Amino acid sequence: MSKFLKIILAANIVAITVLVFAYPNLMVGPGKLITGHKQLETDCFACHAALIGATSERCVICHKPAEIGRQTSTGKPIAKPLTSTPFHQKLLSQDCIACHSDHAGVKRFRQQGHFNHALLKAETLTDCQGCHKSPKDALHEKISGNCGQCHNQEKWVPATFDHRKYFVLDGDHNARCVTCHLSNDYKRYTCYGCHEHTPQNIRREHIEEGIRNFDDCVKCHRSADDEGIRNGEGKDGKHGRNRDDDDDD
Amino acid sequence: MTTSLWRQHILPFSLILGLLAACTLAGDYLLHRLDLVWVGRYLGIPGTILIIASLTYSLRKRKHITAGNPKSLLAFHEFTAWLGSLLILVHAGIHFNAILPWLATTAMAVNVISGMVGKLLLDRSRRHVQAQRENLKLSGLTQAEVEQAIFWDAVTLDSMTKWRKIHIPIFIVFVALALGHILSIFLFWGWI
Repeated sequence: MSKFLKIILAANIVAITVLVFAYPNLMVGPGKLITGHKQLETDCFACHAALIGATSERCVICHKPAEIGRQTSTGKPIAKPLTSTPFHQKLLSQDCIACHSDHAGVKRFRQQGHFNHALLKAETLTDCQGCHKSPKDALHEKISGNCGQCHNQEKWVPATFDHRKYFVLDGDHNARCVTCHLSNDYKRYTCYGCHEHTPQNIRREHIEEGIRNFDDCVKCHRSADDEGIRNGEGKDGKHGRNRDDDDDD
Repeated sequence: MTTSLWRQHILPFSLILGLLAACTLAGDYLLHRLDLVWVGRYLGIPGTILIIASLTYSLRKRKHITAGNPKSLLAFHEFTAWLGSLLILVHAGIHFNAILPWLATTAMAVNVISGMVGKLLLDRSRRHVQAQRENLKLSGLTQAEVEQAIFWDAVTLDSMTKWRKIHIPIFIVFVALALGHILSIFLFWGWI
């Protein structure tokens, strides 16, 4: 290799080294920083430690866990918080990097802002109403706590409530909730919300079978299928009927 | 039909280089498709190890080591450098943000091309031009007519010779840039 070429090579390498130290954000930084950290763009070691990377210990110097979601790092109240309830104070561990990445190049390949209930402390995890307000409908306003009975922590809708335990919503009964639960009152139901069932024909059919107590349909009928008929109060002090009885008609 | 250098040698060379590009794109696509983008971050490590391993031939060629059959080591050099470059390209394709790694990747690409020029083109092209020259002389053309007939082939050959000569200098540039990138990763990423 000629001496001239060696000099050119050395000059290039020196120039690049100078550029790395002068513009570390452009030369080695994995993309732009988030707007809030723009002033740190040329001060890599404000967040990074050699061989350890960005650490939560450095994050909390500015972002006090007790104030996250309530105040900015400069102590001003947050006008429009991203979540209605601050939750960083209730996290199992203060591992900022597990959820947050500040460089555009890193953010692109990581899911951002995805809250996971599993990150919460056990006592917070069961206290749903510590963070969430109950819906203002007829069903929910009568309930306090025990949300997990009908909902899971992945998503509120759809509820994990199993309607089949009470009544199977088959093809003929895959109706709107309000058809059976008038005024969204899920504590009550009626089977007379559609044209198929009327008090008159239900009464006639049950009287023919000698059944006099037929106010609470699901007590005996857990599905539209006669196979689903459970024992209920019937004639002669007996309960309900079975398929064979029906076939005798 | 003309048997120009372009058709006989440069076209196959371009196709082999295209294979490297196609494999890079396929690798990148698969990582995204299989939701394994994070794997790309680590492909730089085996890629670098393969490229370092490929230097065994360079050491043998310059007699820094004496063990090993030079011909086998050359084949090893070509294979490991090509595969290492492929891994680095896939790695780079996923995580391109800063300028330094961009420069390192560009230097590596130039280095791969210059290496392939040496492997695939130069020797065969020299023989090709020489054979053409002799054939034309035998057919009764004067020296000036022969040189005129093979003018463009000679120009191409001359460019390729120059291109081949940059293999080592550009490798040094690549090493310097890659070291800068690796050091910055060690310095700023959470390894511990």
